[in-house]
Amino acid sequence: MSEERLNKEAYRALEDVVGPDYISDAPAVLDSYAYSGKGSGELFNPRFAAIILPKETTEVQAIVRLCNKYGLQYKAASTGWGSRGSGGMIWIDLRRMNRIIEINEKNMYAVVEPYVIGGQLQAELMKRGLNYNVIGAGANCSALPYAAHYGGGHMSETTSLRERNILGAEWVTPDGEIIRMGSLGSIGEWFCADGPGPSLRGLTLGTTSPMGAMGVFTKAATKLYPWSGPIPYPLEGHSPCYYTNEMPPNCLYRYYSFPTAEDMSEAQRRISENEIAYEIMGFTAAMMASNIGTNNEEDYAYCEQFLKEMQGPGFQVIIIGNSPRDFEFKKKLLERIIEDTKGESLKAVEDPKIAGGMLWRSIRITASTRECFRAGGAFGVVLGGSHPYNEEIRFVRQVVEIKKEWIKKGVLRDDHGGYLTWTHEHGHLGHAETLFQFAKGPEAGEAVKDMIQKGLQIAIDSHYGVTLMVADELHYLFGPHTCNYHLWMKKIKQAFDPNEAAEPSGFISGKN
Amino acid sequence: MALEDLREDMEMCSKCSICKFIPLEMVKGFEHANACPSITKYQFNTYSGGGRMNIGVAMLENRLEYDDNLKHIIWNCQTCGACDISCKYAMDMEVLEPIYEFRIRAVEKGATHPALDKVINSLRKQGTMVPGAKGRRSDWATGLGLKDATREKVDVLYHVGCLSSYDREAQKLARATVKILQKAGVNFGIAGENESCCGGRAYQMGYKEDFLNQAKKNMDMIQKAGVKTLITACADGYGAFKVLYDKFNLKGDMEVLHITEYIDRLIKESKLKMTKNVNMKVTYHDPCYLGRLGEPWIHWEGKKIPGIMRRFEPPKELRRGANGIYEPPRDVLNAIPGVSLIEMDRIKEYAWCCGAGGGVNESNPEFARWTATQRIDEAEMTGAEAIVTACPWCIKTLNDAIKENGSDLNVYDIVELVEQAI
Repeated sequence: MSEERLNKEAYRALEDVVGPDYISDAPAVLDSYAYSGKGSGELFNPRFAAIILPKETTEVQAIVRLCNKYGLQYKAASTGWGSRGSGGMIWIDLRRMNRIIEINEKNMYAVVEPYVIGGQLQAELMKRGLNYNVIGAGANCSALPYAAHYGGGHMSETTSLRERNILGAEWVTPDGEIIRMGSLGSIGEWFCADGPGPSLRGLTLGTTSPMGAMGVFTKAATKLYPWSGPIPYPLEGHSPCYYTNEMPPNCLYRYYSFPTAEDMSEAQRRISENEIAYEIMGFTAAMMASNIGTNNEEDYAYCEQFLKEMQGPGFQVIIIGNSPRDFEFKKKLLERIIEDTKGESLKAVEDPKIAGGMLWRSIRITASTRECFRAGGAFGVVLGGSHPYNEEIRFVRQVVEIKKEWIKKGVLRDDHGGYLTWTHEHGHLGHAETLFQFAKGPEAGEAVKDMIQKGLQIAIDSHYGVTLMVADELHYLFGPHTCNYHLWMKKIKQAFDPNEAAEPSGFISGKN
Repeated sequence: MALEDLREDMEMCSKCSICKFIPLEMVKGFEHANACPSITKYQFNTYSGGGRMNIGVAMLENRLEYDDNLKHIIWNCQTCGACDISCKYAMDMEVLEPIYEFRIRAVEKGATHPALDKVINSLRKQGTMVPGAKGRRSDWATGLGLKDATREKVDVLYHVGCLSSYDREAQKLARATVKILQKAGVNFGIAGENESCCGGRAYQMGYKEDFLNQAKKNMDMIQKAGVKTLITACADGYGAFKVLYDKFNLKGDMEVLHITEYIDRLIKESKLKMTKNVNMKVTYHDPCYLGRLGEPWIHWEGKKIPGIMRRFEPPKELRRGANGIYEPPRDVLNAIPGVSLIEMDRIKEYAWCCGAGGGVNESNPEFARWTATQRIDEAEMTGAEAIVTACPWCIKTLNDAIKENGSDLNVYDIVELVEQAI
């Protein structure tokens, strides 16, 4: 553990900003933030120097300026998974910034602070017949569109991606300036990311989210979409087993598997082109089992059952009809497409009790923790980008061969080499992932490293484009093959963060 | 089970934050999404269920000393179990058990809280968790003509509990309970001066040995009296007799029922009729140790199955809150003529705590009242005239908060409404 303590003057100055109750350098507090929660590395990262919890943007600004003044690095995060950053830095926990600033029904946007979780915003929106792009990490994660590393999710078919949903935003730059982006910067309205006013969306995002390395995003607006499903949703039961007695009207949930990847992708493409699905989400057998099973025993049994029943790769589809006629049309067309593409419905999940629960879980996105962590405590993923759909399919099919090798060695959970692909924006884009579950502990470290390294090399060698990644050294891997974009990222980082105050891990360092 | 035995559970924490919120499928809006009073009040991740798992691991790694800050974290938790239930929506790991064990270890190491020491001294000297208790334990029953269950044969032992025995305000709940049982013609008795604290609260506070002493003392008395059925109107008592005594293999085959379960049974067997109107719109607060933590203890012994997936032989069933006592109190309320029940946002397994548990009432009464105030605000939003519950500790904490912060809500125990209706 690092014992790099903050000097008293700096601590007092930070304390003056938030008050004594909202800053701490106590060892127990530091250790709960240093605990990595990761699967394959050390249990604890080096301790941060202090944890600070601002309430207002002006407090964030003051903290950032003090960090610049005292030569401290900082990283801000809201909900997050795990611990990120380096020892000795200031961790800005945005937990107290938890207000929904506005839900504008007429102009269809919502403005939130970082610690509003997806579950809260979505529940408020659904009461108003609206919805938004809850990220795949789940309802327990921030609803701020800037907060996620990867802003796709189960509903990206209809609600697109984070970077396409961001509207006006408020940004405390790495050196402490407050910039209001998009229309917010000129007329104080949140409706547009690109003007009138400073259009900095691309610059602030890079290829992926800057993961706290480009200052702090304190408020942002996200686009809204219609929700035609029932509210309240007729759930029965107790945690962890919530279900419906019957499927609500005009709603359909199905999981289809296919003899070949070609058949599956053809089905996804046609469903998307016809714009009939509210949600298309690629799930492996193991992920389906995690969603439906309420514990590892059930999860294991379901997975075995599904692997026997499934013909090959598959995905789930949700239809929400805007009217009975609309529903019937979409359902018939779906059935036709599935028949044409030799898809088979997974019988177990046709049971309305299971299907109704799955529909709700998949719209609310409440089971991501189950999918990723419950089996063995850890997961890894080789992510594609958000690219043309067919490229993504080709990419993931190559990567999954590496996964199969590690499954054979008994290091990764055996899901018969499952992978997941799904369409975004009715098929304009697509995304693919090779997700793998393993037992928490150092044993899987080699597998994780191997999967990621080889996966990225495949992306480079086969020209699949830049994948989504969270380590700055990887930009150096891709950059030379992609117009040296990493050098431009570095210049941007240097220009906005001359003191490298915003801790750069997960993005890129401005240092040479 | 020692903290070391729970290490793997604690290390399963992925810092996903699910423990901070009610089960996500049940989040109904911006308000009332929080599950845990401690993280909601103190904000640092350390105060959440997950944060407590992380520092549990840190303790096992010898990274921490019992300084004032760590003690503040340890003692400012109601052990309400909300984090445990929310985590188990997604994960197969214990959360509340490590929290108990962390406390037990702190007590063993002398890292106690002075206010809790005072309560335990009272327990050791007077057999009650009400420090400064005056008079005899059964003074409240004077003139009621109750049987002494340690001397006379009874079908049911009514364990009154510390607060209802000694607290002047809470004594009316004991008298209401007696009236109901008499009206139904139940052959019951009390243990009078032989009754002693159940020890449940002592366990929540980390004083495991004191709990065990109380449990053994009580079970000796109960077995000598030949009692087969014990009822209590206190949720803490219920949790102790039904769950904790069983956990430590002390309960035997004694049937333990909460008064709401027993009244529900009496109504359904037509032994108790509620005939008078109690015209009132009410909302019901689930006490933690009757609700999510009131489900039976599940004994398990076995081993982990080698492999990636965390599975056990024989399969290990976790207590996830699904089998708590939720319907009997609601059925009783719905059976009272004129009572209209309106639910709050957070109910049953994901109910918000009243603030009293884990010794917080004594160690940090301001935090207890703050927690209760959150609940009162939530109850007010339903439009109910009264918040009804089924535990004297909840009643006291909710009333204390109303005294401090004001509210038009009345606070009742279910037995008071039943008493009015019979």
